[in-house]
Amino acid sequence: MNDFAELLNDLILSPSRKKKIDLLKIFFCKSNLKDKGWAFCILTNRMDRKFISVKELKELIVENSDEDLFRFSYDYVGDLAETISLLWESNNEKNIKINLHEFMEIFSNFDHKNKLKTKLKYILDRSSENQRYTIIKILTGGLRVGVSNGLIKEALKLSGVREKSEIEEFWHGFKLPCTDLFEWLDGKKLPRYINRKKLFNSFMLANNYNSNEFKSYKIDDYIAEFKWDGIRAQIIFSEDGKIFSRNGEDITNSFCDINTFTKGYFVVDGEIVVKKNNKVLSFNHLQKRIGRKNPSKKLIEDYPIHFIAYDILFYTSVDCRALSLIERKKYLNRFINICKLSNISTSSLIKFSSWDQLQNIKETSLNNHIEGVIIKKKTSLYKKGRVVDGWYKWKRNPFSVDFIIMYAQRGHGKRSSFYSDFTFGCWVDEQFTKLVPVGKAYSGYTNDELKSLDRWVRNNTVERFGPVRSLKPGLVVEVSFDNINYSSRHKSGVALRFPRFSRIRWDKPISQVCSLKYIKDLIN
Amino acid sequence: MRKTNINWLKKKREGLYCVPGNFFIDPVFPVDKALITHAHTDHARPNNKSIFSSKETIELMHLRYGESYCSDFQIAYFDEKIKINDVTVQILPAGHILGSIQFLINYKGYRLLISGDYKRTEDKTCLSYEPVKCDTFITEATFGLPIFNHPNDQSEVKKLIKSIKENENKTHLIGVYALGKCQRLITLLRNHGYDETIYLHGALTKISKFYSKNNIKLGNISNISECSKSEYANKLVLCPPSSLNDKWSQKFKNVVKGYASGWMRIRQRVKQKNIELPLILSDHADWGEILKTVNDVNPNEVLVTHGREEALVNYLTKKNFKSSALNLIGFEDENE
Repeated sequence: MNDFAELLNDLILSPSRKKKIDLLKIFFCKSNLKDKGWAFCILTNRMDRKFISVKELKELIVENSDEDLFRFSYDYVGDLAETISLLWESNNEKNIKINLHEFMEIFSNFDHKNKLKTKLKYILDRSSENQRYTIIKILTGGLRVGVSNGLIKEALKLSGVREKSEIEEFWHGFKLPCTDLFEWLDGKKLPRYINRKKLFNSFMLANNYNSNEFKSYKIDDYIAEFKWDGIRAQIIFSEDGKIFSRNGEDITNSFCDINTFTKGYFVVDGEIVVKKNNKVLSFNHLQKRIGRKNPSKKLIEDYPIHFIAYDILFYTSVDCRALSLIERKKYLNRFINICKLSNISTSSLIKFSSWDQLQNIKETSLNNHIEGVIIKKKTSLYKKGRVVDGWYKWKRNPFSVDFIIMYAQRGHGKRSSFYSDFTFGCWVDEQFTKLVPVGKAYSGYTNDELKSLDRWVRNNTVERFGPVRSLKPGLVVEVSFDNINYSSRHKSGVALRFPRFSRIRWDKPISQVCSLKYIKDLIN
Repeated sequence: MRKTNINWLKKKREGLYCVPGNFFIDPVFPVDKALITHAHTDHARPNNKSIFSSKETIELMHLRYGESYCSDFQIAYFDEKIKINDVTVQILPAGHILGSIQFLINYKGYRLLISGDYKRTEDKTCLSYEPVKCDTFITEATFGLPIFNHPNDQSEVKKLIKSIKENENKTHLIGVYALGKCQRLITLLRNHGYDETIYLHGALTKISKFYSKNNIKLGNISNISECSKSEYANKLVLCPPSSLNDKWSQKFKNVVKGYASGWMRIRQRVKQKNIELPLILSDHADWGEILKTVNDVNPNEVLVTHGREEALVNYLTKKNFKSSALNLIGFEDENE
């Protein structure tokens, strides 16, 4: 446990990528097989569940410390694991000696919450601050220690005999506690349960469009298609079909109205949207379906799913990833023709003869649910991640509206000491007397602006509710957002898509901010 | 300020004002008469007409602001009771930095103790804190949260020495406050047998020489400008925290950046400042030391200032102390 706690601490404090890879490599080389496996699972967030809820942790710390002092401390530190590890009053017992895998095995096998809490308390009492931090991070999931999967793959390559491409290929196949991964890295055979055809394949992603670069590019070398506002998904069509989200999560059950059963093996990349009466509906409609593991019949009827296919990775035994985009599109069309499903279609290509024309199409397209366009090089292969000279996204110009800041909340992680999350709103009506919250934003400002905002919040607080401060109406911010729609979830009746600060209007009086009616008029 | 037991203490724009004594304590704007607890710039501001403080603090202020900044100064001595208008003032060591003192102000038999900044851990560069019974105690709360539990300073220094040994080809660049922390760290290093020359950023040399003159042994220290670029490797360089991430520090190519401060307790603060080697070394009392001090001076009332007042006031109130926050302006939230 101690070695792993030290590894985490060192990873957090190491500024360079190289140093982090070194630290991981050293850890993977010197630790025993079981510890390595679990460490890998923890670092790549493969745990299938949280062992303990935030609520239960809070109960535990309040039993150990004073409730008010915990609240003040948590508000200050901004990280639950760190707050508890610092606040915990250990009773000076000797440090417990427990291996990482022993710890993980104990906590994986608890089904009785009270027993788990008692055991956790026992261990925390006998741990150092750094160990407590690590333990709580493990139990709540989501380490955020600045270690990307790419970095771990690099370290794995260096600590075994496998090539990076092999590691990439089977990355998603290994199961908890992943000891077999390390045996495989050392040269042993793949575990039997790994079936390559059931595995998620990494997505190809788009770079941001750069107009200067593109001026010199030949139109003929590229195709363009619409970027739909849905969720990116990868569907494996086979006898045991699967649907994966952008980060490889299995979402097959949520979208069971797509029939993934077929003879053969086809892997298709595309976008899931809600489509009704031949019209694609807004992202808000899709949200009703996201995260619902067993959607009811009614939900499926009300919000029918449609899959817009962009690309194909495997066509039976053909690995299309090694083919050019144009070749892949042919295979994709062939697949769509043979599968004959009404809720799957190919993404249509946009006809354009100049970049200016394409821009025009992008901005004036009447369909509200297009985020922009994607430009793809015809000769590009299907590769993982953002590939140079591959795909480019060119988003629509965002909406931009001035709002008034109403509430602020302290950020977490790197921004833990700053008020960085803001709720903004506008006037309820033309009387300009009452405000209504419209959205929340926590990006778009520079670090210096964040410091100024933080100072403003502290000087203009009216009331405090835990980590949230309600503020005197006085500061106007220009907020950009990609789209706007009606929403019954929000008090204002509207929902903004990806709102972020574009400018802080220190100069602008709040009386010049618009009313809700103006905002609603933007929808159409 | 909420109602306190003392109606002869006022909060003014310039700072805390003692009515019957007609003086200010650590004023943020210039006043006629100022009592100064210690020479850090947020407590000892320039341009006061008349100053009352310890010998070292007055000399440090001369060093900072020039000989002519104030002509009327009065040195306070321990074991002396000075009458200032209608009050008597006594000083006691505060254990914060060289020359730091507390003021015990007696008005008609009521005793007010103003601690200034203080700590209870032993520090070879200054006199140790001396508690004294009082009726009202004004305490700082820079680290007034129970998450602050400063580790033993020995372990922190060992951490630094270990890192220097393990990274032979690297320069160790450690951020320290020019007055107090710098000299305390050097003294600790010397006590642990580190006897290499320690290199200082220009902003640290004047005050370090002052400490040497006051019989605090710092060993071989030298200005970094006297060291050629090729010699940087394996050197220990101290600099003000603000220089850690500025242009000056870019001349060191292969560095381990450290920072000696109580704030280094919190990982995310360490991350925010791009620090690889956090040294939790504070010249302020941590939570436990504050509570211990409150018990030692055993007041009827505790007034809290500088930092995280809320938590301390909340806790002390629960422990049946009359307690409130002073809410003085002008003290930067996170200075140490």
